[in-house]
Amino acid sequence: MKMHGWHWRHLYLIFVFALLYAPIFYLLFYSFNQGTTMTHFIGFSWRHYAELFADTRMIQIVLDTLLIALLASLLATIIGTLGALVIYQVKRIWLKNSLLSLNNILMVSPDVIIGASFLIFFTFFGFKLGFNSVLLSHIAFSIPIVVLMILPRLNEMRQSLVDAAMDLGATNWQVLSRVVFPFISPGILAGYFMAFTYSLDDFAVTFFVTGNGFETLSVEIYARARQGISLEVNALSTLMFLFALILIAGYYLLTRYTTTKRRQRRYQLEAKIKP
Amino acid sequence: MKRLISFALAILAVCALLVLGSSQLRAANGVKADHKLTLYNWGDYIDPALLKKFQKETGYQVQIETFDSNEAMFTKIKQGGTNYDLAVPSDYMIQKMRRAHLLKPIDHKRLQGLQQLNPRFLNQSFDRGNHYSLPYFWGTLGIVYNDQMIASQAIQHWQDLWSPKLRNQLMLVDSARDIMGMALITQGKSVNTTNQADLEQAKKKLQRLMPNVKAIVADEIKMYMAQNEAAAAVTWSGEAAEMMANNKHLHYVVPSEGSNLWFDNFVIPKTAKHYQAIYAFLNFMLKPENAAQNAAYVGYATPNQGAQHLLPASISNDHQFYPNDKVLARLQVYADLGQKMIGVYNDKFLEFKMYPR
Repeated sequence: MKMHGWHWRHLYLIFVFALLYAPIFYLLFYSFNQGTTMTHFIGFSWRHYAELFADTRMIQIVLDTLLIALLASLLATIIGTLGALVIYQVKRIWLKNSLLSLNNILMVSPDVIIGASFLIFFTFFGFKLGFNSVLLSHIAFSIPIVVLMILPRLNEMRQSLVDAAMDLGATNWQVLSRVVFPFISPGILAGYFMAFTYSLDDFAVTFFVTGNGFETLSVEIYARARQGISLEVNALSTLMFLFALILIAGYYLLTRYTTTKRRQRRYQLEAKIKP
Repeated sequence: MKRLISFALAILAVCALLVLGSSQLRAANGVKADHKLTLYNWGDYIDPALLKKFQKETGYQVQIETFDSNEAMFTKIKQGGTNYDLAVPSDYMIQKMRRAHLLKPIDHKRLQGLQQLNPRFLNQSFDRGNHYSLPYFWGTLGIVYNDQMIASQAIQHWQDLWSPKLRNQLMLVDSARDIMGMALITQGKSVNTTNQADLEQAKKKLQRLMPNVKAIVADEIKMYMAQNEAAAAVTWSGEAAEMMANNKHLHYVVPSEGSNLWFDNFVIPKTAKHYQAIYAFLNFMLKPENAAQNAAYVGYATPNQGAQHLLPASISNDHQFYPNDKVLARLQVYADLGQKMIGVYNDKFLEFKMYPR
């Protein structure tokens, strides 16, 4: 009976994952097609990859997209961390809840509305659309995510930790850098990666605020898709998929490394205290 | 803390590398600050080789940005914050942009080779005297059919689409003006009618077509027709040319009783900055050899007479894409009917689409 249940559960899991990954693998598979459509597989070839690397405009857009994502999520993480610290130390419940709600409203409001309001905002102040407008809007919509990733970590932290540090004569800066930041750093990292993925795949907001020759990947692919998707896009998707895979693996290894290191340190401390 | 800082520094280092790589590529693509021209165009609607040639001849670098609908382009230009030097809207949109004061007039004295343009495609209702626009490409609405599934003499007129032989065999392009226009033409009415009774009649007529309709789709028509999924489709000439390149059993016909004639024209939006480059580019594109090369690449019909002579006879004598004068005289151009009337067209088209089969 127990074995039976185990079996079905796994079948269901396999089914769900197959459903999720089938379209991606379909796309990846046809990137190696010798032909030019996604309906007939003629034979294996690298030609779409060769086309991709010869297309300097595409490569440049990929670099710009990565740059925007890395930079925007870094700045958003810095601002979001400070914001989370402020919200954490607010004592009045009603103020704390309204700050949190203001943060959450930005999370749930549709991208299209955020994008349109940014476009109106930028043009109202005569701001030129381009790299800067995209960067600023990406930072803005990533901040709430970072705040949400860090706050639970802060709430987990025991007040006695901070009190102990203060008792031992630590200055405010030392408390922040030696106690608080190390404790919430998993949250900060998680926030950074979340912000990074949000920025990387954002279409709706970016669509509104690009201009003057600056484009990101999602917008460019959308513009090209009108003509029927060229398999060059498949080739690029394959590379991006691999890139994401490496990134996830890196994140996994990083968190595992930090947790084992922390565990080791705790054992060492406990070993010192015990005798 | 130290780890977080080194992590941030590592990201900044990667960013610096990306900036370097991106600016290297930009330099390799040859963009210089002021020696450029920004063209706001439909996707894949100009031969990239021509842009290289233009840069070699004049030194101006052409930057292309693309849009996917007239309405998206209109909004982006109206909103400001961009500096497009040239744009390529369609006929009715030119009229709308002119009314919204989004266009700068074109100085005909600075143009060379204007006489190359076929007078038939100048002085249209949407821009009398061509003060604001120059034709870039033109085309028609027509019927694509598969000669394995239907005999050619059985499908020469719009009315033939209503034949019971085509039951569940017809694809329509998902465009309110075009499909409503087709129904209006079969009833001898103008495609720009604002008469409610005419439109109601057209809708009723379309509803009788429903049993024949297999699908109302957009760009997918190209793929379906090339793969023998349907016997006939109503679509635009340029799309038809692409389908026919993939399936030699397909043919295109512009019904002789009339159809839509559409234009994509060059205009100078009010956001333009580089006037020297703009006129250099317009003159470059007016040259017959360049227009011919572009037409061969894009596959739409060129309004440039000189270019038409330079094209291979198999293209320029092809009555499917360059209809004879008699048919041309019966073609109608869409006018901008204003937002309210467009709403009526869209509503009637929607009622047709929702009609049970």
